Amino acid sequence: MQRSIEIDSPLPVSPGNPARPTLAAKVAGYPAVLSGLVTLRSFAVFIAIWWAAAAWTHSPLQLPTPLSVLTALKSLAIDGEMLDNALTSFTRLAISMGIAVVVAVPLGFLMGLSERANAYIDPMVEVLRPISGIAWIPLALFIFGVGDVLPVFIMTYVACFPLLLNTIAGVRGTDRRLLAAARTMGVPQSRIVRHVVMPGALPTIMVGLRLAFAGAWSAIIAAELIGSPSGLGFAIEWYRQLLMSPKVFAYIIAIGAVGYSCDVALQALQRTLTPWARGTELA
Amino acid sequence: MSDTMTRPKLRLDHVTKEFAAPRTGLRTVAVSDVSLEIQAGDFVCIVGPSGCGKTTVMNMIAGLDKPSSGTIEIDGAPITGPGADRGVMFQDYALFPWLTVRDNIGFGLRNGTPGRGMAANDVEERISKHIELVRLGGAETKYPHQISGGMRQRVALARLLANGPDVLLMDEPLGALDAQTRLILQAELLRIWGETAPREERKTAVFITHDIAEAVFLSDSVVVMSSHPGRIRAVLPIDLPRPRDEHVRAHPRFAQLSEEIWELIRDEAYRAIA
Amino acid sequence: MSATLALSSAGRRTPDMLRAIALPITLLVAWQLWAMTLPDDTRAPSPASVVAAFVRLCASGNLPISLAQSFGRVLVGFAIGLVLGVSLGTLMGASRAVRRNIEPIIESFRPIAPMAVLPIAILWFGTGTPAGLSIVGYAAFFPMLLSTAQGVSRTDRNLVQAARTMGVSRFRILAKVIVPAALPSILLGARLGMGVAWTAIIAAELAVGAKSGGGSSGGIGQMMFIFYSYSIDMNGIVVCMIVVGVVALFIDRLFRIAERHLIPWRQ
Repeated sequence: MQRSIEIDSPLPVSPGNPARPTLAAKVAGYPAVLSGLVTLRSFAVFIAIWWAAAAWTHSPLQLPTPLSVLTALKSLAIDGEMLDNALTSFTRLAISMGIAVVVAVPLGFLMGLSERANAYIDPMVEVLRPISGIAWIPLALFIFGVGDVLPVFIMTYVACFPLLLNTIAGVRGTDRRLLAAARTMGVPQSRIVRHVVMPGALPTIMVGLRLAFAGAWSAIIAAELIGSPSGLGFAIEWYRQLLMSPKVFAYIIAIGAVGYSCDVALQALQRTLTPWARGTELA
Repeated sequence: MSDTMTRPKLRLDHVTKEFAAPRTGLRTVAVSDVSLEIQAGDFVCIVGPSGCGKTTVMNMIAGLDKPSSGTIEIDGAPITGPGADRGVMFQDYALFPWLTVRDNIGFGLRNGTPGRGMAANDVEERISKHIELVRLGGAETKYPHQISGGMRQRVALARLLANGPDVLLMDEPLGALDAQTRLILQAELLRIWGETAPREERKTAVFITHDIAEAVFLSDSVVVMSSHPGRIRAVLPIDLPRPRDEHVRAHPRFAQLSEEIWELIRDEAYRAIA
Repeated sequence: MSATLALSSAGRRTPDMLRAIALPITLLVAWQLWAMTLPDDTRAPSPASVVAAFVRLCASGNLPISLAQSFGRVLVGFAIGLVLGVSLGTLMGASRAVRRNIEPIIESFRPIAPMAVLPIAILWFGTGTPAGLSIVGYAAFFPMLLSTAQGVSRTDRNLVQAARTMGVSRFRILAKVIVPAALPSILLGARLGMGVAWTAIIAAELAVGAKSGGGSSGGIGQMMFIFYSYSIDMNGIVVCMIVVGVVALFIDRLFRIAERHLIPWRQ
């Protein structure tokens, strides 16, 4: 059965690209300060265009001015509502990621190490994988109702696949020579798994973790928007229905900010756990 | 006729090339004050340790790099950019991986200036002729990854020649090959360059290598460069008779010339690995 | 990539096919048996009733129509994302100046999921097809943009220089060297982009249905919503889920085949 492992994807894992530690480092021959200034200028231009467009369309419902969005952002931040929603979403995210890691990583090791386990389980995985998390929402609404469980279920489901596939790929991709070297040194099987396979697979698993996060973060918005009375996804839709556009925009900015911060944190974790793997990561 | 006698095909006049390091802005001198004249029909090899600026010199002749100071002329006219009158064969051949052998050889004729004004039939005929010239018949529809290193090298050579350049610029074109293939292709290169033809019909060739024996075997004269900064140590005429074949390697003069060149770069070569 | 640590290869005696279907069949049978223990008026789905629902939905034309609606939106939205992504990506990949200036903006939009911009799309375009198209376009845009930019910027410099030494014009270099060199990346981006586009349209239709009391959007996503909130037809929902999965698989395979045919120079 042909299987696609997203590990060779040169793509954006999504928020923040791992291959680019910093903008400045990537654009070789470009001093960091100057690069920062360019970034600032880009944002300034973007905001100016936004402002001009808002003034020109003169339709605060459809396109509020940057200033009104900023005001909305400030008031939502001050009264703590935004923080509450962000924390709600983040908690769900953390729980889902935790469950996904506990389920998918051991399963991935099993499937990577045992041909037989793989032969039995893999077809099931391939059957489920094309069904996106989003498509589970209506059925999950029946089963779990509107609430906390639905987003957690959807996100866990979404996060499991990249983690599982990358774990399998990581386990299988362990350098044969390292395995041979360990065997010639008389290291027992269990220790080989612990000291050779696990470190060997870790960089790939970390990439899987970031892919899983990207998918989950994208799915939580849909899940909360449709089936939850709280969280960031709920909030944007709520204010959309109230026609309070500045707050809609403010929440969209918050979603971007939380997503971005989480990815930066994951990148830091990746660097801490697998400092030897820099440069070999996906991207 | 007298004009071609007096005026060299290529003339480098006090050419210096500096590179600014990205980020730090530190300037390093890659090539310093190089002056050189190459006559039409000459096969000239540039040898020297790595980092002596051989490739930089070639890129400047090709027009891919501009000198920081000094001038480079072809037929008395300054070089301002790349042009099909100077064909380049790159170290890794730079074959287009998505084109077959035939399409690679025809790339310049079909897309660049060399084929301009030619009828489509003539273009295809010219391509076929060059496929035969480098003995690649039968491999025409293969992709570069499907053929051996030696064959890739010949595709690059055919592509170079098919464009009909006056000057052949070759940057270690045999560097990636195994020793035996190299020897065979050196002889073949001389055949294709036109060793047996009268001098006026030969192309002007500039060939970069770090292999001394290769340089002696191929050239009419060898330019020896030294590094840090890259400059010319000496220019040695190679007075071995042409046409040359394997036996020339056994010639006492061959050993003598090789030794002379080795003398010039030995100290630096030792320093490089110390 | 074969297993390096084959701890157990003894299972060879069981044919591969049998092993492959063992788990899915077991689960299906268990599901059916469980469903048969439920009272007759249960709404819980079972494999048998899902098949029945599938036949019914096909016969009534509802399923094919909804599928065509969703798929049509994906194609149009994807085309928008493709055109924008490839053209901007080529610019970004070819010019450092463009990249430096645009990248910060792109990077700040990337963590914003397509579904998060749905409310804005509804504010701008209402609940009809254009809102769906814009979400699909937005979703497909990023993979297209980033993989194109990457493919273009990673074009072997030597190839470009080789073309320059043959007197090939800048425009021709773009068409004959840079685009083919970036094609594998572009196709990969297209495959990933189409995948997220398909997910996005289902999400958008579902959400539009859920949040605008049905609306008039149509499509598989809305069909699922109607099954959920009006007809309470769980079998219908499962049919839709399976169709969504099959289409996703179909899209993926189609692009892989296209990749193989369009990139024959790759082993």
